[in-house]
Order: sequence, then C-alpha cells, then structure tokens
Amino acid sequence: MPEIFIDGQRYEFEEGTDKGLLQFILDNGKEVPFFCYHPSMSAPANCRQCYVKVGTPVKNRETGEYELDENGEREIRWFPKMQTSCTMQMQDGMVVQTQETSKEVARAQKDTMELILVNHPLDCPICDQAGECPLQIQTYKYGPEGSRFEVKKVHKPKRVELGPRVTLDAERCINCTRCVRFTEEISETHQLTITSRGDKNYPTTAPGREFDDPYSMNTIDICPVGALTSTDFRFKARVWEMNQTPSIDVTNGKGTNIDIWTRDNLVLRITPRYNGEVNDHWMSDAGREAYRRFNENRISRPALKLDGDNQSKTSWNNAIETFAETLEAGKPEDVLVIGSAHASVEENYALMKIFNLWGVNNFKFAPHIIEGAGDDFLLTDDQAPNTEGVKLLGYEESSDLKSDIKDAKIVIMFSDELIDREVLSPDDLKGKFSILLSTNECDTSKAADLVIPVTCIAEHAASYVNVDGRIQRSFPAKETKYTHRSLDLEMSQGRLDRYGTNFDNWVTEDNKVDCAPAWEIMNRLADRLGLNVEFGSPRDIMNEIATSNPAFEDISYERMDNEMGVNLNPSNKKEATA
Amino acid sequence: MASDWKSFEPVLIPDIPNLEKIDVYEKNGGYESLKKVVTGNDWTPESVVNEVKAANIRGRGGAGFNAGLKWSFMPKPDGGPRYLACNGDESEPGTFKDRKIFEYNPHLFIEGALIAAYAMQITTIYVYVRGEYISWVKMMEKALQDARDKGYIGKNLFGTDYSVEFEITYGAGAYICGEETSMLESLEGKRGYPRVKPPFPAQKGLWGRPTTINNIETLANVPLVIKNGSDWFKGIGAENHPGPVLYGISGHVNRPGVYELPTGVPVMELINDVAQGIRGGKKLKALIPGGSSTPVLRADQLEGISMDSDSLREAGSMMGTAGMIVMDEDTDMVDALWRISHFYHHESCGQCTPCREGTGWAEKILLKIKNGDGEIRDLDLLLDLTTQMEGRTICALADAAAWPIRHTINRFRDEFEARCKKSVHAVA
Repeated sequence: MPEIFIDGQRYEFEEGTDKGLLQFILDNGKEVPFFCYHPSMSAPANCRQCYVKVGTPVKNRETGEYELDENGEREIRWFPKMQTSCTMQMQDGMVVQTQETSKEVARAQKDTMELILVNHPLDCPICDQAGECPLQIQTYKYGPEGSRFEVKKVHKPKRVELGPRVTLDAERCINCTRCVRFTEEISETHQLTITSRGDKNYPTTAPGREFDDPYSMNTIDICPVGALTSTDFRFKARVWEMNQTPSIDVTNGKGTNIDIWTRDNLVLRITPRYNGEVNDHWMSDAGREAYRRFNENRISRPALKLDGDNQSKTSWNNAIETFAETLEAGKPEDVLVIGSAHASVEENYALMKIFNLWGVNNFKFAPHIIEGAGDDFLLTDDQAPNTEGVKLLGYEESSDLKSDIKDAKIVIMFSDELIDREVLSPDDLKGKFSILLSTNECDTSKAADLVIPVTCIAEHAASYVNVDGRIQRSFPAKETKYTHRSLDLEMSQGRLDRYGTNFDNWVTEDNKVDCAPAWEIMNRLADRLGLNVEFGSPRDIMNEIATSNPAFEDISYERMDNEMGVNLNPSNKKEATA
Repeated sequence: MASDWKSFEPVLIPDIPNLEKIDVYEKNGGYESLKKVVTGNDWTPESVVNEVKAANIRGRGGAGFNAGLKWSFMPKPDGGPRYLACNGDESEPGTFKDRKIFEYNPHLFIEGALIAAYAMQITTIYVYVRGEYISWVKMMEKALQDARDKGYIGKNLFGTDYSVEFEITYGAGAYICGEETSMLESLEGKRGYPRVKPPFPAQKGLWGRPTTINNIETLANVPLVIKNGSDWFKGIGAENHPGPVLYGISGHVNRPGVYELPTGVPVMELINDVAQGIRGGKKLKALIPGGSSTPVLRADQLEGISMDSDSLREAGSMMGTAGMIVMDEDTDMVDALWRISHFYHHESCGQCTPCREGTGWAEKILLKIKNGDGEIRDLDLLLDLTTQMEGRTICALADAAAWPIRHTINRFRDEFEARCKKSVHAVA
C-alpha cells in the first residue's frame, strides 16, 4: 500500500484514490485550517488557507531505489512553493509538513488569515455565525494576534435579501465561492455568481432574479462566515444557547437527516445532518421551514365535543374514559383505525397492537403523494416520512378513504390531516364518533369528536422508514409537560442544561405542550380496557417489532445509531462476521 | 548580436505598405510557410514542433517559455477536439505591441497560428483580443475573412485532409483575462478566474480538452522560423533568448513607440538611440523593462544591461513583454508606485485571498504615504505584505502586484522615507 508521511507520522492510503491531501489529513484526525474546501464540492483552492509544505523522495532513475542522505534517510525534494492541500494529490512516499511541524507553513497560514480579516467586519458580537464560525474559530487557533490594518475597510452591501429565505451581508463574505459552487454543482440552478472584482466582490444573483432555489438555505450552512444568513433565524438566538438534537426531516419521504436546534423549549431552526447514504450534507428549504409546526398551533390538552360542534378542553382522565367508553359501547367491527404515514413506526405499531387486541381488524392509511412534487435530489413525490413503515406494519393502503369510512361507526384517526388534504370532508365524519390523536390544530382536529394531543417528532424518540426502505430514528429535542431534559436520557443537553440555572434556561412553562407519546396514551387506554399489555419505551417497542415482524428483523436503536440508519431489505442484516 | 541591431531589418512588422492586405502579404511570400508544412513531404507535425523547439522562440507574453517545448506537451490526438487559444489580451501598463501585429501584419500572426495548429493537429483556433482594441478586432476579422476566402482557413487546406477553423473573440476588459487560464474561462463564457494547475491546459483546457495558449507575437514568429530555419532565428539577438522582439517604449522619452529589434539590445541604446533620449533633456531615473509588473531598475543599475532574460535577471528584473516604461528624474516614485498598485488592486479578480486583500491593503497604505500621512513602519509593513502575496496565489497577479512594491521601495527607499510623516521620520 502506498505510504505518506505527515508531520513525521507514517500513514497508508489507497492506491488510485482521488481524495485530496486535505481530506486525508482530516480523515486521520489531524487538522489543517481551510475555508473554501467542502468535501462534496470541487476544490477551487482560492482561500489559500490550507497551505502545507510538500516534498517527494528522490529516486535513482537507473535503480529505481530511493536516494538516501548522509543520515540514511530518504532524500526529499521539496516543492519550491507551499501547496494548497485541498488540491494536492497524494503520491507514494510523499512527505508533508503542516503548521504543526513547519514554521513556514504556520506563518503562511497566519498571513492568509490576517489578509482575510483585514476587510472582514469584526462584528462577532452581533454576527449570527458567532459560535459556529470557522473563521472565528480558526483565527483563535491559527490567526495573528492583533491587527496591522490601520486603513479604511471596504464597505459592501448589507442586509441584501437575495431571495425569500437568504439574506446577504456582503461585507463578511470572504469569497470562498462555496455558495456559488453549491448552486452550480449541487442544486444546479446556477442562481448565484460573484459580482465585481478584487476586494469589492461578493455573491449575488443576476439582476432582477431572486435566489429562490428550493435548496437555497444550504448556502447558509456552508458559508464559512456570517455572510449568508437565514432571513428567518437571524438574531433569534446564539448557537451556544441552543441544544442540538439529531432527528429526521418529516416533510417528505427522503428521510433527510437533520439537527433540531432548540432554546427555551422552542425549535428555532433545523439544519441538515451529514448522512452520505441519504442526504449527504444537504436538505431542502421546505424541511427547514417545517420547524414552526413543532412550536405553533399545537394541540395541547385533550378536547371533547360536548355540545354540537364546540370542542372543550378536558382532562386526560376524561379523554381516556371517553375513548374507552366509546369503544365499549360499540363493536370492534364498527371501528376503523386510520394509521399515518406522517407518524412513526412505533406509534403506528402501538396503535395497531392495542386495537388488534380489542378485536379490530380494519386498519387503513391514506398515502400522501403529490405527483411531480419531487425532484432528482432530496424532494420526493411522497409527502410523508414513513409510508413504507406503515405499509410494512400491515396497514392497508387506501385509495378511497371516503368509501372505506362509510361503514365505520367509530373512526380513529392518527396524526394525519385528512380533511385538510381533502382525503376526507367533515361530512364524511358526521354520524360517527371520530377520535383524532394528533399534534397540530387543523380542520381535521376541529371536526373530531375527541382530540388527544400526541408528541411530535421533536418530542419523542421514534423511527421512520424512508422511500428507499431505510429506517432511521429521531431523538426528543424539546420537553412536554411530562418530560424533562435531565430525566430523559435520550434528550440532548446543551451548555445551559449542564452549567446554567433555571434562571438561564427552561423556565417558560408556556412553551411546553400538554401532550403525550401515542404509545403512552395506548398504555393508558389498554389499562382502562383491561388489556394485558404495556409498552415501556419506544426502544422497547422497536425491539418488540424486530422480533415479531420479519421486515424489521435485527433492527434496533443501537444499529440505527451506529449505522446512521439501516436499509430494510434482505441485506438489512449485518454481513456475517467471519 | 547586440552590436548589429542598427542594421536589423524588421521581419514582424516590416516596412511594406498595405501588408495587412492579403494580396500584398502573399506577394511577399505570405502563406508559403503554411503551404510548405501542410503539403510538403519534408514536414510532419512533429518536425514543425521540433523546428520551433530548436529555434527557441521564447514566449513573448511575458513568461518566456520555449514555444516549441510547450507545443510538445500536447497529448496525442484522440479524435476529440483540441484547441489553440491565441492570447491577444494585452492589458498590462506599458505593453502595447500585439496591436501592431494586428494592425500592420495580421496575416503573419494568422499564418503562424495555422502552422501551430497544424503542428499540434488542432482544428479550432480562438483568438482572444482585448475588447478595447475594437478597430484592430475589425481589421483582424477582415484579415481572417480574406484568409478564409483564399482557402487558408476552412476545410481541406491545400487539398489535404487537414481542416481548421479560426474564430475571434474579444474580452470585456479585465486584466486577469490575459492570464492564460482566465482567458480560457472567458472564452468559455464564464467569469475570468484563473484555474488551478495542474491540470495544465495541455491536458485539460477549453471545455476540458487539450489546449495550447500562445501569445500573438510568439505565433507571428513561427512562419519566419519555418521560412528561414531555426538557425536563422537563433542567429538573431541574444543567445538564450533569440529572435526579433517588439519593444514597446513608453514614458519620458522623446520618441515613444513600438520598435522591432533583436533581443539583447543594450537598454541605454534603446532609450537614447531608438527612443531618442529623455524628454526635455532630463536625466534618466528609472526603467521598468517589461511591463509594469517587472521590477523597476534604477538608472545606475542599467549600465551594461541588455534586453534579454539573462541580462535583466542579473540586474534584478525581467524581460516580461519588453514593454519598457522610462522614467525621468522628475518622476515621483511614490506616486508612480501608488498608481501601479492602484491598477493591480483594480484588476485583481478577487479569487485568492492574498491578492484580493493584499492589493487593496497595499494601495491604501501607499495612498496614505502619498498623501504625507505615512510612517516609516508602513514601508516595512508594505514589504512584509509583499511576502504574504508572492507565490501564494493561483495565478501570478499577486506576484505582479508585489514585485513593483518590493523593488520600488527597496530601490528608492530614501524617496519613500522622505515622504513619510516628518515627525515620525525625525524620531526614527
């Protein structure tokens, strides 16, 4: 195997790899500062930050042997100039010095950083990127102390709304061109370009055009400074005040891996989480904007129609009692359970299991497909995150829910806005007792006789099967009335959770929704109905599914965590270890 | 060779009336070299490359690389397109010699480009001309059409299998588009940004295909080499940098202009005899030998120096494009350097950090010094800044911006110190 020596340490690399030297250094746990390089895009080498010193061993042309110096070491012919490691291809025997072992490299990196900073506004205290800004971080690690720049900075346009979702502060731009390359190489809309020359340049759109690329907000993530900001998120929070929780995008069937960012129990933003098998580094703008559903318009505390069409809030005990009495007053064959492709595998399973035990055998779901809504990238025609999962659990796909519902006297709807998306109309529910377990207020919740609030993906651990048959899971990101970060081991903890007091964080009870996970509600219902079943946790439910449903064989939260999701197909089992 | 430059008869822009007309050009032996190589049994593409390599035509665009050697870097034809890109985007202050070829002898360049294309088995030639040269562009277009009408461009040249197309493109006016890879970007219809090398254009040039880039003047030498032989060419001018050269002399001389002479002419003879001395009988103060990016030389450094790469390197400068800027004793070097820095700041494409930020910072410090607000430490800062820029960017624009700063300050430091703040100066 070819070898390479970095700062005196020997590494082996795969022959024929097209991986650049910088990526190899990063992959091996070492660090070289960089700004313009991004592993999923071309390397323009324009920030000139990732300099390293490179040499190759001298070989005797006749013998093919390495020539040795007086110490018996290989003679190294150093490149006359320093090289940008992002564009440097590795060669067998290559010798590399980074800033750790070469003063020349450290000086060059410091020089470049000084130049980047001369026209960059030193507005970290107000910049939205503060706390997660590579320029800020690397300046502390590799930059100059103080400034020798005593002349006037260049002033470029500020607060430019490039499009509906992205705002530019051109003064902060360091011209890394990541955003331009994103629209050229990833989203392929070519909506951004660099305008003007020299230190006056900045990214913008063509005159009269707006940056409305459906993936435009990815440029915010990859901008290594605070030049491109989310118009929505600007000035809402500092990153160190927030908790970052891994989750899954539920706005379509791709199952994009995301991070949910919360503060004061509100989701403030969603960013993509790297998964090379699903979404690489990217996500759609629609997925990011969905965070509002986690905060706003939530169904909080159960509600019951007592007189006519007017719903009234009621207690959990009364809601469960009403639910049970309704079931007891009817026959199992009168019950239609409508599962949801918008809800998790565990929730749908718990629902199905309880009602199965009660004798119900009519389980349907209405797929949420919009033909043509997808693209060749991350958007799919399927608008739900778990269509495959619901099918695998045994829910029958309904092509005409209006007729399926006709004979039912008790309709149990679960986390699906069936009326809002015109699968059903309010009239279809007339004369029946309708029960909705769901997350957000909508026309469907208004029409139901009994409404029971359930946790959304931001509030529970659960798994979802994407359009490609890959099962991936979420972690709870925000508290409900009945959960607490420090008591729920699945819940991420941020700096303020660990080091703050109640005065710093989690003090607003108003932001906690009075809801419960569907499986907990099913536990209470089962208890009331005298069914001998109790779910312990979503993890337990998944373990149960894995042992009872062949499609989910060997699936566990541990595997999903370790493998960043698992493909549910015959190869879902790990290859047998020899 | 320097001694007989006075008897040299121009060959690139000879004194033949109406040479831009194809009939006149043909009457004077025009396109015979092309015919010779395309139809002659003695010539193969390889032998043309070897002849040009042997002649040691060193690129006239500034870098001075052996043109034939550059041609030999082209990979073997694989059936796909390959290109010759002719660089006529001269934008550097002090450089204005290609336009003479466009104006007086366009067919010599066209013939040279066609021979080069044949030698490298290229079937498409692009000429990139600075947009401001619109009148010369029109003349070139006319010359190309005449050559096409006569069958020198197009299908089956001289009844052979070899076909070639020739197009002219003009840039919108950015210095960086004269940098070879930026020119390729511009030819492809994109923003002029230099490309990272490797891959070099011979491997991956226009639209990802093998491409050779030559300067207009370089190509104009090619028919002469084919016609007269490489030994003839090597017998002109300096040994290691042979051939005729278009010297563009500007500045404080009595007769500025473009002069065709051999390489290796003593600098002082060029100034005093060819350009007829310093304007107003003033003394010579400084010379920029090859376009504004080449390091300035003090008058006392010019004794015994001739215009060829070896001699100028010894003196601490470069031949560049042979665009000589002559400065008399009244020249304010602070002002002159600020203006040069202003140019490079204005023309930096902004792609690489050291150039984008360094050129602007340097210009601002120089403006401060120019306005009498500078301090001695600013000079050291400027010198430090040049080390932060030189050799740290994709293309050589940062070098071109750094060298004038470093050398002008080092060679005229007294003048800069005198301009700095008096109070600080006194303390210093």
